[in-house]
This record gives sequence, structure tokens and C-alpha cells, in this order.
Amino acid sequence: MKLGLLLLALPCLASLHGFAANLEVTIKDAKGAAVEDAVVWAMPKPGPAPARKQGAAVGQKDKTFIPFVTVVQTGTAVQFPNQDPIRHHVYSFSPAKVFEIKLYAGTPAAPIVFDKPGEVVLGCNIHDHMLAYIYVVDTPYFAKTGKEGRARLENLPGGDYELLMWHFAQAAPAAAQAVRLRGDESTPAGFVVTLAPVPPRPPAQ
Amino acid sequence: MKLPFITSPRLQDRIVVFFVALLMVVQLASFYFIRYAIEQAAQSTLREELRVGARVFRRLLEQNSQQLVEATSVLTYDFGFREAIATRDRPTILSALRNHAARIKASGMAVIGMDGNFVADTLAESNSGKPYPYPDLVERARVLGRTSGIRVIDGKPFQVVVVPVLAPLPIAWVSMSFVIDDKAAKDLQRLTTSEVTFVRDEGGRAELLATTLPPARRASLLAAAGSIIAMGRDGMTVRLRDEEYEVLATPLEDTGGVRLFAILQRSVAEGLAPYLALQAVLLFLASVSVAVTLTGGIRIARRITRPVERLAAAAREVAKGNYELSGVPGGDDEIGQLAQAFDGMVKGLTERDNMRDALGKVASSEVVMQFMKGQIELGGEEREVSVMFADIRNFTALCEELTPQQSLLMLNEFLTAISEIVETHGGVVDKYMGDGAMAIFGAPVTRPDDTQRAVDCALEIRRRIEGLGPALAARGLPHPDIGIGLNTSTVIAGNIGSPSRLNYTVLGDGVNLASRLEGLTKRYHVPIVVGTLTREKVEGIIFRELDKVRVRGKTVPERIFEPLGHAFEVSPGELSRLARWNDGLEDFRARRWPEARATFESLADERKYVRLCAIYLGYLRDLMARPPGGDWDAAFTLYEK
Repeated sequence: MKLGLLLLALPCLASLHGFAANLEVTIKDAKGAAVEDAVVWAMPKPGPAPARKQGAAVGQKDKTFIPFVTVVQTGTAVQFPNQDPIRHHVYSFSPAKVFEIKLYAGTPAAPIVFDKPGEVVLGCNIHDHMLAYIYVVDTPYFAKTGKEGRARLENLPGGDYELLMWHFAQAAPAAAQAVRLRGDESTPAGFVVTLAPVPPRPPAQ
Repeated sequence: MKLPFITSPRLQDRIVVFFVALLMVVQLASFYFIRYAIEQAAQSTLREELRVGARVFRRLLEQNSQQLVEATSVLTYDFGFREAIATRDRPTILSALRNHAARIKASGMAVIGMDGNFVADTLAESNSGKPYPYPDLVERARVLGRTSGIRVIDGKPFQVVVVPVLAPLPIAWVSMSFVIDDKAAKDLQRLTTSEVTFVRDEGGRAELLATTLPPARRASLLAAAGSIIAMGRDGMTVRLRDEEYEVLATPLEDTGGVRLFAILQRSVAEGLAPYLALQAVLLFLASVSVAVTLTGGIRIARRITRPVERLAAAAREVAKGNYELSGVPGGDDEIGQLAQAFDGMVKGLTERDNMRDALGKVASSEVVMQFMKGQIELGGEEREVSVMFADIRNFTALCEELTPQQSLLMLNEFLTAISEIVETHGGVVDKYMGDGAMAIFGAPVTRPDDTQRAVDCALEIRRRIEGLGPALAARGLPHPDIGIGLNTSTVIAGNIGSPSRLNYTVLGDGVNLASRLEGLTKRYHVPIVVGTLTREKVEGIIFRELDKVRVRGKTVPERIFEPLGHAFEVSPGELSRLARWNDGLEDFRARRWPEARATFESLADERKYVRLCAIYLGYLRDLMARPPGGDWDAAFTLYEK
């Protein structure tokens, strides 16, 4: 019932602000190379962004978290399906979300809900080399760069936003950019991020 | 004669002493050279071992720190530990640190936040919130993942390990420290077989942190530490108190003016110890070889000197005239050759001696002696000598019934007897002439009683030949008739001939006279006729004057005599007859011829006077028939030969 009302209201909102703007964000490093797995998100200026609850999953296959970087909106419940024939012990000591799923196989019955924005580093207690990131943002407008270093934020209502980014290897947080979006427009944006060298990791066993 | 084996050391001893001394000198020299080389080799071996030890030592330290890093890493992966760190609850963290430090027997353990400040430290709880003192280690761990280093804390060296706490990215650093004390140094000493000392050097001020050296040597090592650090990176020799050490400094850390070194030390004496056994073996071998050389030298020297001694003995035998030698060494070696040469020499000597004997047969031994001494030269000298001619007058009659061989044999018997008598009286048989011989008294050797001996010799020959009479009569042979002419005069004596063939003899009128006197024995029927000078030079002999003869070519007549014998052997009857004969002779010469005739007639039947009286009665008949002039000198002129 609520959902139906929201769906009815959507066209009005769109017309009000100029509907369905897109944001094309390109992220490069200091050398101009495309940066993959960077998270970009847009925070609407006037107030809290609407919740757009979607499920997410960080699977484990071949003793690797897939995907390596996951971005979710606050309050998203994330599944950790184990596709390996062995068990994993997924944990995080990150302040944004401390949790552990002790040795398990298959998909745990209860997903983990990420309710605070920020960086969550995932590890596996019995596989030191396994590493993944979940970045939790307070907005439904987010995306992750691909190999070409581009991320596309789609269907944003027109208006003013604060555009932000994060990368797991960034030497320092990038400054937020203010962008004004008009309906039916595709706006380009870009970040240049300085990446710190990645410290050595334990090899896969 | 010199006695060579008493005054000087024996050849054998000299050989042995020389070779043993030579060997000892060589042995001693080589022993010292070998010892020097060994010491050099030992020293360099020691140094090389120390270098190897240093490499081992560094490797050990590395492995040690690696192990500590690994162990620390394992600890930090402990999930509970990571959870405890994640709680940020300090008491919990401290407690967990103590627990984990105890697990791997670390001296201390601390958690450092990502901001570089202590979260908790087991060594000092008050350190919380204070900056970690070794940010360089943390920085290195950030780059390398984990690290370790040696740091000095309160004067003690620590192996400090810094590893991250991964969840799975670093959420903090763990610093774990392990003290390096004397015990740790001892462990390293066992593995590197060197004394190990950890030294801190801060601006030239050295400090011993940990050592395996006995306390007594620590002070001297500390004193030398500065120079060891400066110059002993590749090894050097230092004296620590009373002992030499080979030392090597290896740098461990250099953190802003504070330098850490490990000094490895090895005792030179201990390094040389294995070579002392070798030295003992060398000494033993040297003594054995000296002993072997001594015995072998004595044996070989004897092999040389024994034959030499035998040769010397043989030579002494040869000197005595014994040429029949036994025990002259044989063999093919040099001694054998010497013996052969000696043998040859003896043969030569034998031949020469035989030749001298042979010479003695054909010439007088006196002449041969002088000849052998090389004193005989061509030429002559004037000498007063007595020359004797002896002849078997009736030899032909004696030989009538004999074969030529038998005749020669008999002649030789006579001549041998005559020669023997001549030689026993110091005379020299000059030559043999047919059935007679010529002998000389007074040449080549002059003696004062030459004439006396010559007369004695003539008397002896007379007696000997007459003695042969009965034996010859038994064989039906006639009595041998000896005729001896003896005259003393000055003659020329010397070698006559050519240098290759010399004949020592005497020449002169006196010699001819002697020969003629011998001929006169036939006329007067006497065995011996001597000249005037001979008569005058002799004493103790009774002479009978025979006549006065005028030799051709001489104006002064020569009185001739017959020696009757020694005064003691002439009988009184003989002497009275001699006195009557002398009276008669006196009358004869004084022209009292009738008186002389009476005397001669009275003596004419007397034995030994028959012929003389017949001669003189013949003279008287002639004289009284044709009395001579006033110049009559009563001399008989000798015409024949």
C-alpha cells in the first residue's frame, strides 16, 4: 500500500525536479590511470536521501570474497553465501560494523545488516589472505568504477548533491564535490585520487 | 813415525759427526720453518674461520629474528588476540599481551596504534599513549609487512620485532622484544665456536652489552673495542691480557650515532693446539731420522774405514817387506778400486824388489843401494881403495872331468863363497872375470879400515878355499889353488858407460898392479900377493916379503908381500924361518951373495920356501955369473902382462 503511493508520487517528483538525471564519474589516479573498484556516491543536499533498500551479497568462491568491493546503503542486509566446499569464518573488526559468522557452509540463515556508514574490512579467520571491503553509504545514489575507472549514477532526481568517493587504497579522503543535476541530463564528473602503495598481503594458501 | 789415529779423531767418527750434525741442522731449520709456516697457516685459518663464524653468526641472527618475526606474526593472527585489540580495552589488551609474551618467552610486548603511539606495553604500563620509541621500525614494517632490529633498552640489547595486527588489514602494530643476554651470546658461541661479545658504540664510547668472555678479559676487550670496531671488520689480532686473540667485528645496527657490533674472538693458542700435536710428530720423526742416520752413518763409515784400516795394516806389512798380503778388501766400489790399485802397487814393489835382488846379484848391493837412492852419477872421483883380484888358478884342471853344467855349478860355488866373504868384510864385488872376481874395498863407501879388512878378507878366502880341499879330494879332484892379488892405491872410482847402462868400477895403475900381483901368485907359488902400501896400512898381520918387482912403465920398484896370517896364528917355527928368510933377503940385497945363497939353500927344503928359494938361488946364479952394475936395485922386472 505504501509502496503503491510512492510509485504514484514518483512521476510528480520527477517533473518537479527535472526527472532522471545521470551522473558520469571518471576516477583516475595521479598518473592518469583508470582506478577500478572506487566507490562514488551522491548525497542530496537538502536532506536525507530516501531509503532504497536492496539486498546485497558478498560470496566466497575459491577462498576469495566476490566481489572485492561492495557498496551498500545504510540498513542493507548483506548475505555471505559460501560457495566453497570448505567452511569460512567471516569477520570484521571495523568500527562501522563488527561482526563474525563463525565457521559456516552455504548461506547463513541471517544476513548481516550494515547500519552505519563507513568502511568495513572483511576477513576470514582461517584464510589470512582473504580480504574484501563493504562500503556503507547513507544514500541510494552510489556506484562502483569498473576497469575503465568510470561509474554511472543513474536516475538521480534533479537538484543539488554532494558527490563523494572512496577507494580502499586512497592515501587520503578525496574532497567532496558539489554538483547540481538537471533532469534528463547526463552530467560528467571526475576525481583524481592519490593511491598509497598496497602493503604486502599474506599469500593465498 | 806419526800415530795418526791417536792425535786426530778417526775418519769414521768425523763422517758420522758431520752427517749427523748436517742432518740435525737441516732438521732444526726445517722444523723451525715448518713451525713458522704452521703458525702462519694457523693464524690465517683462524682468521678465515672467524670470517666464516661471522657469516654464520649474522645468518643465525637473521634466522633468529626471522623466527621471532614468524612466531610473533602467528601470535598476532590469534583471533581472540585480534578481538582483544579490537575492543580497545587497555587492561584486556595488556593482559592479552602478557599472556602472549609468555607464550614465546619474549622479554616484552607492546601494541602500538596506527598513530604510532603505545596502546599498551608490558614493560611499562605508563607508556600508554606515549609515542613508540622506534618509529623507524614501524615505518619499515608498514613497507615490508613486518620487521625486526636490535635496540638497546636500559643498557641491554634486545631483538625488537614489529609486526602488524591484521584484521585482515593492519589495525595496530605489535612490538615484541627479546633480550640478547650472556646466555644468548653463549648459544651463539656454541654455534659459531667463537667467543661472542655485543658492543654498543656511541660516539666512540664503547660499552659491552653481553659477552661470553670470562670476566677477567672483559676490561681489556673493552679497552681494545674502539680499535677493533675501527679496523677489525675483516679480522685482526689483539692481546687480551695475557692471551692473543684473533678478533672480528661485525656491525649489527646503526641507528643515528648509536652503533651495535658483535665482536667474535678466538684464542690463538686454542687455534694452534691441533698443530702442537703435528709439531710433536715432527719432532719424533726428526729424532727417528737422526737415530737412523747415526746408525746408518756408523755402518757406512765403517764400510769405508774398515777396508781403509785393513789397507793401512797391509801397507804396514808391505813396509816391513811382507808382500804376501791377505785381507786386502775387494769389491767394485771406490775402496775396492783403491785396494786393487794397492794390490797393483804391491805387485810393482815386489817386482822392483825382485829387480833389486837381481841387481844385487849382478852388482854389489852397496852399489845398488846407491843406485836406488839416485846418488850415482856418471863421472868419477879419486879414492884410495884396495883392489882385490881373486882367481881359482887351477880351475881348468878341476873341471877336467866335469860336464860344462857341473863346471859352471862349481865355479858359481867358488864365486858365491868369494862374494860372501868379500861382502862380510865390507867389500864390493865389482865384476866376475872368467873363473875369478874383482873386489873393491873403499868404494863406493869409504871406511877407515878398508885395507885391513881387505887383507882379512884375502886371508879368509885363502882359508875357505883350502878348506874345500878335502871334499874335492874325496871326489878325486885336485886341491883348489887360489890366487889373490891385493893392492892399495889411489884410483878413479865412478860410473863408466852411458846413462842407460852404467858400470860402477875403479880405474888406475893400482888396479892393474893388483891384477898383476894376482898373476904373480903363480910365479911365487903363494896364494896371496899384496903391494907395499897394503902392507904398510895393515897391523897385526905377519907378512913375508916376496920380492921387489919393477912394473913396466914405473921406475920405482914395488916391494911385494905375502900375508901369512894374524900374528897369533903364525907358529914360532914359522916365525924363525921367516927371520932366516929376511936375513937371506937382506944379504941378497946387500950383495953378500954367498951368505945369501947359504941361507936360501938352508931354507930350500922348507915347506912354503921351496919355490922362493929356487927363484932366489936362480937369481944368485945369474948375478954371480954376471955381476951387475952399481945401479942394481935387487928388483925383478915384470915383463909379462
